[in-house]
Amino acid sequence: MAAPRIVLGVIGADCHSVGNKILDAYFTEAGFHVINLGVMVSQDEFLDAAVESDAKAILVSSLYGHGLIDCEGLRQKAVERGLEGILLYAGGNLVVGKTPFEEVERKFKDMGFDRVFPAHIELDEAAKLLREDIEAKAK
Amino acid sequence: MNGKLLLSVDIGSTYTKGGLFLLDGEELRLLGRKVRPTTVDDLGRGFADVRAAALAGRPDGASGDVPVYWLSSARGGLKIAAVGLTPDLTLSVARMAATSAGGKVVRAFSYELASDDLAELEAVAPDIVLLTGGTDGGNSRVVLHNAARLAETALPAVILYAGNRKVRDRVAGILAGRDLVTAANVMPEVGTIDIEPAREVIRRAFLDRIVDGKGLSGVVAATGREPLPTPLAVFELVRTIGERLPGWEDFALIDMGGATTDFYSFTESFHGGDSILLRGLREPKLKRTVEGDLGLRVSAEALFKSEKAFFESRLDPDGEEFAALRDHVARVSRETEYLPGDDRGRRFDELLAAACVRAAALRHGGVVQRVFTPQGGFDVQRGKDLRRVDRLIGSGGFLAGLSDPAVLLEVCAPDAADPDTRHLVPEAPACYADDQYLIPLLANLAAEFPDAAARAAVAGLKPLPSPKKTTDKRG
Repeated sequence: MAAPRIVLGVIGADCHSVGNKILDAYFTEAGFHVINLGVMVSQDEFLDAAVESDAKAILVSSLYGHGLIDCEGLRQKAVERGLEGILLYAGGNLVVGKTPFEEVERKFKDMGFDRVFPAHIELDEAAKLLREDIEAKAK
Repeated sequence: MNGKLLLSVDIGSTYTKGGLFLLDGEELRLLGRKVRPTTVDDLGRGFADVRAAALAGRPDGASGDVPVYWLSSARGGLKIAAVGLTPDLTLSVARMAATSAGGKVVRAFSYELASDDLAELEAVAPDIVLLTGGTDGGNSRVVLHNAARLAETALPAVILYAGNRKVRDRVAGILAGRDLVTAANVMPEVGTIDIEPAREVIRRAFLDRIVDGKGLSGVVAATGREPLPTPLAVFELVRTIGERLPGWEDFALIDMGGATTDFYSFTESFHGGDSILLRGLREPKLKRTVEGDLGLRVSAEALFKSEKAFFESRLDPDGEEFAALRDHVARVSRETEYLPGDDRGRRFDELLAAACVRAAALRHGGVVQRVFTPQGGFDVQRGKDLRRVDRLIGSGGFLAGLSDPAVLLEVCAPDAADPDTRHLVPEAPACYADDQYLIPLLANLAAEFPDAAARAAVAGLKPLPSPKKTTDKRG
């Protein structure tokens, strides 16, 4: 089977590029076909890239604490653009301050994200979940 | 006489122009020019007139021996309909491929073609439908749908498939029996532009299938040579000049006519740096845009509407001059051959030309926006950076006749309304006029004699003296 395509990028006015490069290298190594849009990516750019490449998932990073407002409406827009079944992942320092992660996770899930990750995670675990989620969708 | 005679002929939509050149070693010299009206009903007649006139009285030109190179933009040039998936990605690249191949994009469609779109396609009767969509291995649903819709039509056009490679065979199956050609995907990966293969296929399709329909086969028989679409030849000449001539590493050429304004640039599109970021597609170093609504005659009404704000900024909208300008626009769009005989008419034409130059530059060039982030200020660039363009050529009827650079310097448009946005247009280019109309004629010879043609094209330009140092418009 061809490597599943995933779209990767840092959303909004966020210029943190180091983690983005690590994710790109890691997921490529892990057998995914990564379409990396880099930093300061708008919602439309994520969606255009996913439409053209028929991606299975969009992985949105946000490191600067404004993730909530940047990600709002992405799911609805994806549906409007014909990407009803696409997986949406978010991860990083998603909100400013000391909000407990469970609350952040709930907010992002309410917005239609399938999985939400804190700043520090095991990438092996994330890749495994991503593979499982993609397979589940394929059924 | 030493050297070899070459005749170059450009069959335009209104005039057929011929130039007789002497190739002496590495130098091309113009010996004479002839212009005759294009004979639309039979292009070969106007061609023969020009050829006879150009060679008349030449003892050495017992005609038959002088090789004739020719190009044509007659009968609407090369009309291309572009079909893509998303407007900002494959459709945008498809447009780029079409204009770079010397075509004019007559219609553009994104996502699924609907019945209305098909009717529109049939009405505009493009020469080529460029069908793209999806990265290699990416979305195939939409492009397959669009292929099936195209198969329903009675379009006689050549269909060029340059989309998702994975379904190329299926598309070929769906469009079996049609005039189908294929090329590599114009956007194999998100953000990767690969338009050369499509360009090459368009060029060949023009020669093999379209020349005939444009009534050009008689000329092919008479010359033993196939033509190029004029803008494609000019595109290649721009490349040759930029790559080979010192001092011309960053330049632009504007070719303005009654119906369209073509803008060619040869300059790196993005220079990078610490606090500047490129969003969107990285545009090619050599780029052409064609503006079908910017022109001095056929397009004058459209221009007057779309650039209303510009005209109002130059003339009092309630004044008598403005009303007269409106009359002028109405007249020239009706009488497309009209040439003003008085100062006011000439001033109005100059104003129309200024509006075309300005708008064409704004559309061709990109913008940079200052964005404030928690990590500090960043410049975000979209589109192509033309700021390093330090030479600018005006070509085509009006611009070729310029005697001062004011109209061309309209490319240095002032800032956008938003103080945090800047247009990436040339800043203070040295201006030149192609006053002998040599650009198309030499473009014609550039494929075979690139160095000589490039040098002659530049040597034949008339420098337009810069005005006294202007104040910096950016303030």
